Amino acid sequence: MNQLPLFEHQFRAMGGPCRLRFACADDGLAGRVITAAETEVRRLEQKYSRYLPDSLTSTINRAAGAQQSVPVDDETAAMLGFAHTLWQQSDGLFDLTAGILRRAWDFRSGRLPAQSAIDRLLPLIGWQQVQWDASSIRLPLAGMEIDFGGCVKEYACDSVGAVLARHGIERGLVDLAGDMVVVGSGSALEPWSVGICHPRRSGAAIATFSLAAGSLASSGDYERCMVVDGRRYGHILNPLTGRPVQGLAAVSIAAPQCLVAGGSATIAMLKPQGEALAWLAELGLPWFAVDSAMACHGELGER
Amino acid sequence: MLKPLACLFVALCLSGCETVQPWERGTLAKPGMQWQTDPMEISLQAQINASKEASSGGQGAAGGGCGCN
Amino acid sequence: MSGPADKRPTLLALTSSALLLPAYQGVRADAAPEFIELGMRYSKYEEDNTQGSKTFGGSSQRYDIDAAQFHLLAPVADNWAVAVDVQWEDMSGASPWFVGQSLDGGPKVIMSGASIEDTRTEVSVTTRYYYDRGNAGLNYVRSKEDDYDSNAIALDGSFNSADGMTTYSGAISTSRDDIEPTQGSVPTNTLKNDKDISSAWIGVSRIVSKNAIVRFGLAYTYREGFLTDPYKKNDKRPGERNEWAFSTGYRHYFFWPDGALQADYRYFDDDWGVASHTLNLAWHQNLWRDTQLIPFARYYSQGEADFFANIADTDKRYYADDYRLSSFGAVTVGLRVRQQIGNWAITAVGERYETDESWGVYSGDESPALVNYWRYSFGLDYVFR
Repeated sequence: MNQLPLFEHQFRAMGGPCRLRFACADDGLAGRVITAAETEVRRLEQKYSRYLPDSLTSTINRAAGAQQSVPVDDETAAMLGFAHTLWQQSDGLFDLTAGILRRAWDFRSGRLPAQSAIDRLLPLIGWQQVQWDASSIRLPLAGMEIDFGGCVKEYACDSVGAVLARHGIERGLVDLAGDMVVVGSGSALEPWSVGICHPRRSGAAIATFSLAAGSLASSGDYERCMVVDGRRYGHILNPLTGRPVQGLAAVSIAAPQCLVAGGSATIAMLKPQGEALAWLAELGLPWFAVDSAMACHGELGER
Repeated sequence: MLKPLACLFVALCLSGCETVQPWERGTLAKPGMQWQTDPMEISLQAQINASKEASSGGQGAAGGGCGCN
Repeated sequence: MSGPADKRPTLLALTSSALLLPAYQGVRADAAPEFIELGMRYSKYEEDNTQGSKTFGGSSQRYDIDAAQFHLLAPVADNWAVAVDVQWEDMSGASPWFVGQSLDGGPKVIMSGASIEDTRTEVSVTTRYYYDRGNAGLNYVRSKEDDYDSNAIALDGSFNSADGMTTYSGAISTSRDDIEPTQGSVPTNTLKNDKDISSAWIGVSRIVSKNAIVRFGLAYTYREGFLTDPYKKNDKRPGERNEWAFSTGYRHYFFWPDGALQADYRYFDDDWGVASHTLNLAWHQNLWRDTQLIPFARYYSQGEADFFANIADTDKRYYADDYRLSSFGAVTVGLRVRQQIGNWAITAVGERYETDESWGVYSGDESPALVNYWRYSFGLDYVFR
């Protein structure tokens, strides 16, 4: 099987460069796999993107404050359930409704927002206010918004991995803008060599690891930060205070499911640095983190 | 006589099983763990047996017959 | 994933919550098919000649069947699938006409003289609907041969419990068979007749552990109409038959040899006095990655019908000397091999079936016409991935 030709397909989606690599016996099947994989990524983008007016997310957000709740399918209900679990496990730091803070924080301007701007938004944030169940969701106040951005990319990774597996692919790597999933788990596999981006030097890797099975998700404040009066303000915002967290610079976690790895990485990035390192040590998954002083912690090790 | 014993057997088997989580069910999808490994083979065997023996059926409702001799 | 993960509440909570999403459902046996599947089987069935000492006129050849099966399964839209199954059978040979008393006292069978030649075609179409907790199917079967015509329709459904550990299933079916015996090969008094068969079945299947599943089923069948065999000289059967079948099955996977044990048992009982036990055992051995070797065995034992007698008493209300209503035991031993190559799969099966009155647990008169046979099948499957 290691002699099977390796196919590669690059495309842009989910806000970044995406790359599929997989071993496959024939061109025809490889073409069908690439089409099916890219179709699945586009499907999830169309469904959950905050930017597309036709997406389910936009429909839900437009209905904020209305009496009618918006019906959701099984996949979305399960996604809401996962977001709810993240909210519980992070003591409210991971919050699907916190996206509206971008209205106050303009990182390109280099100016800090007025406290009043933040204060106006805080009442519209709070997952506990959202009315949802297995078949519908309602945002009770006009101006509330949900944003699945923290989950969809990692879920898409797992979903594309499943597409490859269903087509009989036994060795492959799905890389969606930095979150990746290994397809196949046979003992004779060659592991994939993956690099963790350096938080401050774009294009450089701060560490490389061997990934033989499962997934690797990374979270970091690589871009979208601003420095005001010598102080760095990252773009990861605490939904309870509306202000940036003083947290780690980057976290990478390995787990069987990319969604679990990504959700955990996001929670770790939302916590203050010290708490985050302690939380990661307790989590039970292999992890790697870079703190604000660019010191490395944790060990993903040979996987 | 056989019926009450069968009912008891069924009840014992179905009760008290610890829940197997969905992510632990991978083994149950392995080849050989299906109820019907090869449907065409099963249908042929069932037809031969029903036409050479006096019993038929068991798993599913009986279909039509044939003039098997 | 057991072990340390179970003791970390956060990880357990996140994982169990994530796994509810569709991408992790994996290939569920009861999910709608994703790809078109095609299958073909060719089989040869050859009965042993009758025993010379038990046949008037010495050993006679019996039945040979050549059969071809064709299967197509196609997904339709998101939640539907259609299956078409076609079967052709070419049958030829002689079959028992009646049993008579021989000079030395033992019963002997008289075979139909000329060879019977018959072709049967059967077409079955099933439409199936899949929803998140189960599926339901509607099936129509039409079977036609020179002297026999059958139309059957069936409805089945299955439903999973909320935790996915138990599956409840049920099915009902009804069929109408018309018989118009071919005059000539064997004398028969029947010109035209028919029978109706109705049946209902319920079953429950449960996950016992990570490696084992168990199932139970109960079926009831009611046959009514012309149930006599028109090609047998001494045969007059009741116009009704009530049948019950209780079945159970077990599958257990063994990690170290990478194989699965399959066991199925059925107890059958009807109001003609026939009762039977059937035990099927198979060992499904996985070899390398794409090969399966499956030795299998079957034990069958049936008791004779109330009105069965080798030398039929035609003064009685019902009588039959058909060996298929006699008491006997049957043992089958066989081997199946399956090899996957890309999207193709090749299958080969061979089995040997032998009967003997002394192998059964019920006692009765041994019929001189008990049958033994060989069966071989060769198959090809293709999945359009």
